[in-house]
Parts: sequence; structure tokens; C-alpha cells
Amino acid sequence: MNPLSIDPKNLPLVNGEQFQGNLSQILLLVILLGTAAYLLLQHGLVKSKMMAWAGGGLFAFAALMAFMSIPMQVESVVRICFSILAVAGGVAFITAREPVHAALGFATTVLSACGVMFMQSAYFIAAATMIVYAGATIIIFLFVLMFAQKSNLQWYDVQLIRPVIAAAVATSLLFAIAWSVSEPGEILPIKLDLTRPYSLAAPGIAPGQALPPVPESTMSQAQLSEFVPAKTSGLGRSMFTDYLLAIELAGTVLLVATIGAIVLAQNPERDPS
Amino acid sequence: MNHSEVQNLLLLGGILFAIGLIGFLTRRSIILMFLSLETMLSGVSINLIAFSRFHQNYQGQILSVMVLTIAACEAAIALAMVVSLYRRKATLDVQAWDELSETILPKEPEGDYIGMEHLETYPKLSPAGLDPRDQPMPSSFQANPNQPTSELDHKTSPIVSEVNKRG
Repeated sequence: MNPLSIDPKNLPLVNGEQFQGNLSQILLLVILLGTAAYLLLQHGLVKSKMMAWAGGGLFAFAALMAFMSIPMQVESVVRICFSILAVAGGVAFITAREPVHAALGFATTVLSACGVMFMQSAYFIAAATMIVYAGATIIIFLFVLMFAQKSNLQWYDVQLIRPVIAAAVATSLLFAIAWSVSEPGEILPIKLDLTRPYSLAAPGIAPGQALPPVPESTMSQAQLSEFVPAKTSGLGRSMFTDYLLAIELAGTVLLVATIGAIVLAQNPERDPS
Repeated sequence: MNHSEVQNLLLLGGILFAIGLIGFLTRRSIILMFLSLETMLSGVSINLIAFSRFHQNYQGQILSVMVLTIAACEAAIALAMVVSLYRRKATLDVQAWDELSETILPKEPEGDYIGMEHLETYPKLSPAGLDPRDQPMPSSFQANPNQPTSELDHKTSPIVSEVNKRG
């Protein structure tokens, strides 16, 4: 049967066993994060590095306590370690005084996020993110920092714009996210989407031949239920069949951005005309 | 992939997004604001990949390819803009460009020419006097080598003080 024919409301709710009734844990996490952000983002940023490490360690410990009460496999432990590393890099990023240190914290965050993506078997995305963010973007940012950064710290590196309001806004946003995520039945377990059938069709169609009509014929129902989007070749097939127009438009946007960057970065005084 | 795993990943994406939001709202340096934007985008990307795994299709991964593309474009354009903004004001402070928002400008009186005082020109003085870097100096202007240096005050020698005044 077609999985899309299932009414999502009739599906048995996959309850979040671990997080059900654990709203207090989420609240604790959110409040800890908010207070840590408030403490770390005081006027003039971090006065002492000890405070930053204490806040980060406190939050990491709380997260570990929240997660370690669950019996876990090795994979989950590695994933959670990557997550904690990503969050720690983010904390180091927003609390660093030196912009170069902030860039290093950002690199830590992105690499740990790539590890998490890798464990979700999104290999191509992880590699591309590593190349684009941690490679190109960080290098370009460091070049611009070297170009524009004065040798000593400027006051705009240290001073913040309304840190209390920002911490409150971000914490309430995070609380809203955690609330809606932990709501049981909020995440619908819709399985394979067959509205984009071309990538599932049999390859090797001669020109002039009609497309194969039914994509379900290539995969049995048992295969469909066990399907894991782990193959890079499958991602490429889906990209260049189902989403061909979107990918071409993305390439066009890249071209336009390249031209715009070249035009914007020109020195107008050196213009020969 | 079970339900709690996708919950954890969504929470991680939300935390990264919130960290990026804090950085974007509080930081004043333009470069760090753009880095915060990239942090927010990586949180969104984790979110999409978790849903791609959970829903067993490639749509989330393709959306995250789009996010990656737009992030690369944004980094290129933003850094070009940072370079050209830095050329104008020689600062990375984002509040130096507050006047672009136009709300903080005082109300201008109609009919007055606002930029009048900037059009004033000042006369340029022609250089006069002696340049002490010129060698050799006339012997009459040279300090007496027998004189102790503590007494070689600028006030005592009118020529040296005159040269110092002119810069």
C-alpha cells in the first residue's frame, strides 16, 4: 500500500518515551542555559576566563546528567559528545573577546555539527559543510579579520548591545522549541515520500521511451520500511531528477553572488574609468 | 532512528540557533554578526538532516544543500560588503552605520543648506623658517656643543620653538 494513503491522525503515536514527563528536565536545561548566557554576556563580555569555563562546564554537566539517565548505545554517546562539543564551541564563540578566538569557536561548532550530520548518515552534506564552512568561510573570515582588525582590541569587540534582552529572547525561543519538540505526537512519523517518484524509478531509459509509470515497483514494502537515506548516489539521483530545477537555480544564485561579490569588493578609487 | 533521537537532534539544532541568535543580537562587530548567522544556519541544517533521517527520504538533505548554497552566497556578498564598508569608515562597528536607518536623524529645517559649513576653505600657509632636518644647518643656528643639554630648552631658543610650532 502507498504510505501516503495513511491518514496521519490514525497513526499510532510514537511517544517520546524518554522525554515524556521530563518537562522539568527541559525546563532545567533552558533555565541553566539562560542563566549561563546571562552570566557570560555581561557588560564587557567575560571578565574572567574562569567564569566562562565554569558556566560552560556547568551547562555541559547539566546536559550530561539530563542525557545520562537514559541507557544508551555507543553511537548515542558519540552523538551526544559531538552535540556537547558543538554547544561548547558555540558558547566559546559568543563569549570570546578576540574575534579570532570567536572564529575558532565557530569552527569547533561547525566541525562538531558535521560529526552529528555524519552520524545521521548524511555523508555528502557533512563533507560539503566541512569544506564550505570550516574550509572556505573560516578562511575568508580570517582574511577579512586580518585585513580589517586593528592590532589591539577595539571597544566594539568587547561591548555588547543589550545582552539581557538578547539572552531572554533566545532562551524563550529555545524554550518554545523544546516545548514543541517534546510534545508527544507532534513529530509525525511519515515514512518515505513518494510524491517525488523519479529518483526511485529504474535507471537507464532510452531516449524517446516513456518514463516507468509506477515507482513502487522498484522497492518492496519491506524495503521501504527499512529505507535509510544514506547513499550519496541516492542523494545525487534525487537532486538531479526530482529537484533539478531547484539545483540549477541554486547554481545561478551562486553565479550571481560571485559577480556581486566581485563588483562590491572593487576599489572605486582605482577604477580606471 | 527512534523518536527520542530526533528529539535530541532537534534540541541541538534549537540550541545552536539560540546561540547564534544571541550572538547576532548582542555583538557589534559586523564579522562576528555574520559568523552568528552561519551558526544559526548550521543549526537549521542539523534540523533538516534529522528530519531527513526520520522521514526516510532525501528531501531534508536536499534542503540542506540549498541552505549550504545560500550560506556560501551570503558569506561572499557579506564579506565583500564588509570590505567596502571598512574602506569608508575604517571600523567594523555595526552602529557606525546607524544613520542608514534614517530614524535617528534630526529633522532638517526646510530650505536651509545643511552642508554649508563643510564647504568652507581655509588658507594654506606657505612653509617658512628652517627645517631642522636640513643638513647642514648654518653654524649660527647650531646649538653650542659645549652647552649642557639640559639648558637647551625650547623656550630659550626662539628658532627651535618656532620650528616646533610649525610642526
